[in-house]
Amino acid sequence: MVEAVKLSRHNLFNTHIIPVNFKYFAPKTLNEALELLDKYGKEAKILAGGTDLLVKMKMRLVEPKYIINIKGIRELNFIKDEGNQVRIGALTRWRQLEKSELIKNFFPSLYDAVKVMGGTQIRNMATVGGNLCNASPAADSAPPLMVLNAKLVLASKKGEREIPITQFFKGPGKTVMEPDELLKEITIPKPEEGSGSAFIKVARTSMDLAKISAATALKVEDRKIVMVRIAIGSAAPTPVRTPKTEEALIGQPFRPSIIREKVKLVVNEISPIDDVRSTAFYRKEVSKIIVEDALLISYERASRR
Amino acid sequence: MRSYKYVGKPIPRQDVSKVFGDAIYAYDVKLPGMLYAKLVGSRYAHARIKGIDLSGALRVPGVVRVFAGDDFPFKVGLYAADRDVLARGKTLYYGQPVAGIVAETLQAAEEAAELIEVDYEPLKPVLTIEEALSPDAPIIHEEMSKYRHASFVYPKPGTNIANYLKLRKGDVSEGFRKADVVVEGVYREPLISHAYLENWVGTARVFHDGTVEIWSSHQSPFAVRHLLAASLGLPEGKVIVHHTFTGGGFGGKAGLLLEHIPVLFSMRLGGRPVRLELNREENFFFMAQRAGYLFRMRTGATKEGKLVAHYGEYYLDAGAYADYTVNIGRSVGFVPTGPYEIPNIHVDSVTVYTNKVPTTAFRGFGMQEMHFAFEQQMDKLAQELGIDALELRLRNAIVPGKSYLPTQVRVREDAGDPAGTMKRAAELIRLGKEIKKPKEPWKFRGVGMASFWKGPVQPSNAASSAIVKVNEDGSIDVLVGTGEMGQGTINALAQIVAEELGIPVEKVRVSPARSTDSVAYTWQTVGSRGLFSEGQALLRAIDDLKNQAKEIASLVFRVFRDEVEVSEGKACVKGKPWECITLAEMALGYTLPNGRAIHGPLIGRGSHVPSQTTYLDPETGKGEPKPFMTFGTGAVEVEVDLLTMRVKVLKAVTVLDTPVINPGLALGQVYGGAVMGISITLNEELKVDPEGRLLNPNFTDYKVARAEDIPDEMVAEFLGVGQKNAPYGAKGIGELTMIPWPAAIANAIHNAIGVRINELPITPDKLLQAVMRQRPELLEALEKELLEAS
Repeated sequence: MVEAVKLSRHNLFNTHIIPVNFKYFAPKTLNEALELLDKYGKEAKILAGGTDLLVKMKMRLVEPKYIINIKGIRELNFIKDEGNQVRIGALTRWRQLEKSELIKNFFPSLYDAVKVMGGTQIRNMATVGGNLCNASPAADSAPPLMVLNAKLVLASKKGEREIPITQFFKGPGKTVMEPDELLKEITIPKPEEGSGSAFIKVARTSMDLAKISAATALKVEDRKIVMVRIAIGSAAPTPVRTPKTEEALIGQPFRPSIIREKVKLVVNEISPIDDVRSTAFYRKEVSKIIVEDALLISYERASRR
Repeated sequence: MRSYKYVGKPIPRQDVSKVFGDAIYAYDVKLPGMLYAKLVGSRYAHARIKGIDLSGALRVPGVVRVFAGDDFPFKVGLYAADRDVLARGKTLYYGQPVAGIVAETLQAAEEAAELIEVDYEPLKPVLTIEEALSPDAPIIHEEMSKYRHASFVYPKPGTNIANYLKLRKGDVSEGFRKADVVVEGVYREPLISHAYLENWVGTARVFHDGTVEIWSSHQSPFAVRHLLAASLGLPEGKVIVHHTFTGGGFGGKAGLLLEHIPVLFSMRLGGRPVRLELNREENFFFMAQRAGYLFRMRTGATKEGKLVAHYGEYYLDAGAYADYTVNIGRSVGFVPTGPYEIPNIHVDSVTVYTNKVPTTAFRGFGMQEMHFAFEQQMDKLAQELGIDALELRLRNAIVPGKSYLPTQVRVREDAGDPAGTMKRAAELIRLGKEIKKPKEPWKFRGVGMASFWKGPVQPSNAASSAIVKVNEDGSIDVLVGTGEMGQGTINALAQIVAEELGIPVEKVRVSPARSTDSVAYTWQTVGSRGLFSEGQALLRAIDDLKNQAKEIASLVFRVFRDEVEVSEGKACVKGKPWECITLAEMALGYTLPNGRAIHGPLIGRGSHVPSQTTYLDPETGKGEPKPFMTFGTGAVEVEVDLLTMRVKVLKAVTVLDTPVINPGLALGQVYGGAVMGISITLNEELKVDPEGRLLNPNFTDYKVARAEDIPDEMVAEFLGVGQKNAPYGAKGIGELTMIPWPAAIANAIHNAIGVRINELPITPDKLLQAVMRQRPELLEALEKELLEAS
């Protein structure tokens, strides 16, 4: 993980933004893009906002032969209310999420993440699909979407498939997507009545990548926890859910002392490392604290609705 | 301070070209036929170069020439000439330039850079001060004895010691015998980066007659000129350095930077202009950063709270080149304690080479680091003695006119008001008063203070000069050699001219751009010395100009010169305001009614040299090191979150003793200094892996505070206690504004939770460890409280 300077083979400091030749495509429709992926997928990289890809190219972490810039595909940029669920096109910018009443009202945990992801300039460029496909363990959108039970629609020339986001990540920079597949959209079911969600990130400064982050969703009925989901970022090779902690919380009365005791279990469900941003020790200690805080905020939000 | 029309007023900057995007920086200078240079960095922190194959690079279309170490068989440097142009025989740090390419386009140069093959034989890298000083350490500079050193630098060839400085005052063993309480401490700061906005760039051309011209991003045009000339064996008069706006320096652009590289490349290419521009990553590797520090201290006091002895071993981790850092090692050695009188001091300050990025000056020149250590010693002593932190400081504060410096000379009577700043800062932060308790039981608030002093560290004869010209319309052009990098000195100089001549400040122009062949000399733009030094030269130049104006008026009105006064832009016979000549009327000399003209153009000249500073004794450090010291105190209120271990600075107070020429710009310095100091305290660190590879040469992982991380409240006061020979009493403040923060924050954290942090940066990770080690009961109590509360 501490490979911050794995640069080019010969000149470690030649970090010009376009260091190798590549062929560039800018499809205008989803079909065109899928055609191109079908042809070049194995050696191609998708360019959406570019806020991750260009950095990786600059550092020679990837050297694609083909770049498919999908930013011009209008049909993948939308936020749609469909009654019981909301669909978000993969090319929706973070800034659009930030300005959406729908996101703010129904998915407060996602809204929390949007507000602390980069600065305005980054949010204007970066796409929600790009944040997921980059598959960083620190992706700010991943923990909230995981606790919101989001599903991802992956498209290829052969057809479409829908998978839960919890099955999407494989490792740092790795997902289950086939080389010919494109993330088309994200669907998020509207949260059930009386539930609430929240996201907390601890970083070195404002506008920074997470040292550690956590999202929770919670529903309490008759003072008992009837639904709880917890996801943690920057604490394992991928963002992770913590099923054992969730199981231990289900059926428990919602009392801060009980929450405080039970969230200690999350430490066993993560495997953080030391890197340039933080230490494994700190990440473990603080994971339980931000999960606890997120649960308390989720509870407060649920009771307000 | 008495009231003036322009001096002491918050007059907005005269130059607003940055606001409109009109400002020209070195990056904007492009010459016809210009070639592009690119440097190739070493892949090892310490390795022998067994061979280098340039042939691949030479085959790239557009490549004009490829250079390697042996093309330039000499070293360059200011105080210690320890730098290769391109690595010869051995690489000393990860990223050190080993080859240089010159091509028709930047793209071709970059492509060629990929094709240079270097055959390395890796050596064991030396990465810490302790490793560097161990008896079996690999020697980094094997030929140190052959290097050219300034006379006041004491290297130890055959070791990794670049400079060894001794300071001895009184008898330290005797001092400790008198001490009732002795506190010890070990304090560390890591290597950090200046993180200025403008990456370095330089464009050079060499004329057939040997004249060298260069446009580059630097602080001190005349230092660049002198060092280029000295390093390359050129006459000063043939070297012309052009100064444009500089996009931030903070010490990182003092002295000679990489100017010699495009100049040498151009020389070898028949004088064709060559440009070397660095990107952000390259700037982290090819430009010097700031040294790391290790302080071991023992400080003793009597039970009455009188400091009686201080013993210190100070080490600077200079990285691979110590060219400038040797002088910082002197700086912390000569001023080894806070602004207190201590009769017995024994300090060794050792500058050490390691296989890390080279280091140089940084805002504060070692004083932020030394005070981080010493001001924590003061709080520890106060605690041991049961004396209030302010009271202990007041009992020992330097008394101008009475106290003696660590270098054994008496402090001038008008040196300033250290005690005044201590009292006022303590008052503003409400030190010792009850602190409002946050409602969350895991949040703890505390306050802390740190006093400080600093003056410029410069050769005893560091000179400045100024020229004042009157234009036909009565406006004034001021020619000075100081660099403009946002600090505002040129604005203050314009205000002084306006005040002295009684003309609107809009009529005074001090150009931010200058060339060494067309302005007056100044040694360097460093050490918060600009206003003090150029200001004195300028006042003498104005005096010279006024005398000329009086001379003309005395001839015209047939009176003695001393019967003429200059004010409101006119020379008038005293008491007869109707018998006047305006500056415009005599700009080119004065024409009498019969057509005869007298005197010719008005032009004033003035010089300054710090006439009272001396050499320092090599065995004891005895002597007068500085022309002035600015005294101040910083204080903060912090909030520590014991769950996430994050520290937030709620309020930052700065009190400086000096008057200021422009309170608006001075406040800008104070705010900027506080934010920079807080950022360094909480975040900043250059990290290397066990192979010595820099892990965060970028702003993704070299974290600098963002706008949201600025304290909610920042307060600044200037007490207006001036030094008589300073212009309008004003001493320098630029660096001073960032000195106290690490110490004040560390003291405030201790005040909040009783945990002492002796190493920067104070990250949540580090604080968590420290709390668990020093005050585990705090966490247990909090846990209990949280469980019971629910």
